[in-house]
Amino acid sequence: MKTVLGPDQRSFLAELRSYLDGLDPELVESTRAENIADPMQPREHGRRFLRQLAADGWLGVSWPTEYGGQGRTEIEHWLFAEELYSRRLPNGLLTLNVIGPTLMLTGTEEQKADYLPRIINGELVFAIGYSEPDAGSDLASLRTRAVRDGDEYVVNGQKLWTTGGHVATHYWLAARTGKQEDRHRGVSLFIVPMDAPGITVTPIVTQGGERTTSVYLDDVRIPASQRIGEENEGWAAIVCALNFERMFFHNEPRWELEQLADWAREQGLLEGESADAYALQERMGEHAVDVEICRLFALRGASMLADGKVPVAEASANKIWWGELRQRICNTGLDLIGEEGAIAHGSPYAPAHGHLEHGLQSSPVWRFGGGTNEIQLDMIANQGLGMPR
Amino acid sequence: MTAFTLSEEETQVQATARAFLRDFVDNTYLNEQEESPTGFEASRWGRMRDLGWSSVHLPARVGGADGTLVDAALITRECGRAAYASPLLQTLRSATVLDAIAADKTYDDVLAGIVGGAIATLVAPPDRTVMAESVADGFALSGPPVVVEWLAQAEWVVLVLPTVERGWLGAVVTADSFGERAVDVPSIDNERMVRLDLDGMVLPSEAVRTTDLSAEDAAYALARADLLRASAMVGGAQDVVERSATYALERHQFGQPLGKFQAVRHHLARMVIAADGAQLLCDDALNRALPGAQETAVARAALFAAGRSYMDVVLTAAQVHGGVGTTVEHVLHHHFRRAKAMQLRSGRRSSRLRELHQGLVVRREAVEGSLW
Repeated sequence: MKTVLGPDQRSFLAELRSYLDGLDPELVESTRAENIADPMQPREHGRRFLRQLAADGWLGVSWPTEYGGQGRTEIEHWLFAEELYSRRLPNGLLTLNVIGPTLMLTGTEEQKADYLPRIINGELVFAIGYSEPDAGSDLASLRTRAVRDGDEYVVNGQKLWTTGGHVATHYWLAARTGKQEDRHRGVSLFIVPMDAPGITVTPIVTQGGERTTSVYLDDVRIPASQRIGEENEGWAAIVCALNFERMFFHNEPRWELEQLADWAREQGLLEGESADAYALQERMGEHAVDVEICRLFALRGASMLADGKVPVAEASANKIWWGELRQRICNTGLDLIGEEGAIAHGSPYAPAHGHLEHGLQSSPVWRFGGGTNEIQLDMIANQGLGMPR
Repeated sequence: MTAFTLSEEETQVQATARAFLRDFVDNTYLNEQEESPTGFEASRWGRMRDLGWSSVHLPARVGGADGTLVDAALITRECGRAAYASPLLQTLRSATVLDAIAADKTYDDVLAGIVGGAIATLVAPPDRTVMAESVADGFALSGPPVVVEWLAQAEWVVLVLPTVERGWLGAVVTADSFGERAVDVPSIDNERMVRLDLDGMVLPSEAVRTTDLSAEDAAYALARADLLRASAMVGGAQDVVERSATYALERHQFGQPLGKFQAVRHHLARMVIAADGAQLLCDDALNRALPGAQETAVARAALFAAGRSYMDVVLTAAQVHGGVGTTVEHVLHHHFRRAKAMQLRSGRRSSRLRELHQGLVVRREAVEGSLW
């Protein structure tokens, strides 16, 4: 069979590991703690960490050298993401992995020259503005309106679930420029600085402690030069970005399984011979198989990207597998622990370092974020099997 | 969905095998063979021998094609896809194990026989229920009866068993060595089986050609052989998914194809995920299963995932097809029965999962052997 991971890839990984091992331990530990508490948005330490990686030339592994990247393949990029996820450190999230690559495919030369260098330097953090109070899965019904006024658009509306809205520098904003009944054919995509006049961000705190935001747009003026793609043709870029997004779910289930293994080791169950030990070993054995499958769904997507193809149904399968597995590990892991599992994270007595309980509370978004799993299943039926819509 | 791992030559092996089987295998043929006295056609076996199927991965020294385990696995995948029953899988598994545990030319006569078209079968109970103990004139066996596919049709029987003293043994006997210990039993699928009572039997010294085989080496040899079964189950699962998708487009109810109903679409998409996951893991394990690589854990993971996925997809496929899928007029009934039988031939689920826990979580074999 074709060798996907050859000596070059392995030496790349060794080099990356040696680089990460050599970073300032204070930076790494504070970044990790911040990232575990709320991984969806790099804050004080995460920003510091990403700027350090950028300064050392480690952001944009698969970005072309003309945009300041290392010019390696998507396989190395996948290895990079897996390794950072394995250490629970941020890897540039949506800004580097979704917005950047989408801009490369759909942006104008001016837009690329303006944004890509600042993304790869770790300067910019994007938040994504798709969902609205009445436009969730049915994104094509969005109502935030952008009206052309000379060289500018004037935007009014409300966005919901803008994760990272309070730490972002820029907003990747979908707005209606055509008629409501034109649905996805009347949507345009814009970039606007988060501190533009007329933008108000209000926090939403979720059960797991992660923050997201509502964003209100009140006569926000965006230069027409900041529109991505043609007017009313923003949907293609949104679809492209979502496919990239669904490929960036990686190694966290392995990390969560290791938290459970730590607990089982302390309890003498990891290699015990009791009925409880056997029950745990059976459960963990199946999770461990599913973790390996998770690795391979992500690797398949990376291989397709490396071959110049965009995974669609494959990206959906990756996202479904990853989210359901993580949730299953957290949920059934707590079942194995029993009543002590009810001790909340933050307490030194919380079993498995509190990560399973925290993970379970965070887990609903894994199944609906980036497009609900039900919509992903429909995409597999359409794109993967050719079912009629 | 997109397969990304096969080389051009491997794609060719796969296409050739598929075309060969397509030429004569359909549900009617499978039903006829299942009801026939022998369970398979000797003339087809001869043709498969001529194509080199049972020796594709054996060394040129014994007349094999010097191919890899991947080549053999692609052939079993196509047999699985066609739901085609024959002694091929058992013969390939036997050959794989003998090739792996042979010191020098220990088993060259048997391997050369397989190249020449001999049928072999393998006795290696997955739950390690049969033990061997050294006695004056050989090894005495003890344990509950086991079931063995195609023993009645085989020329050679390969045994790989743990010993009471230390290590594992490898032995070869002729199939007529068992007398009344071997009793034909009906299988739930279209393969043939005997129930073999080894308790109290003594394997003569001259039959035991390998002793002191380490448990690790025995486990890896068997795990590689089992990858051929995993691959057959992957092929079966793929065929079931494709047939179900085709049926969902053809069958109309309430004035529209089944494939327009979201409940059915989601069933189909879940089947794709199950089959893809099994295939990806099987291919990864095959890629890593080089001789001596000791990639036992990931090979076992692939076997487990293949059995689980094959069963998952046949259960859902039966639901998508409704009544028609349960009739003996539809090939799905072969897949349904084969999925459970093949999964069960890997032994007890709880034992397999604890083994996987030991390999993947405790010993971190897949991690040490690869990346994380």
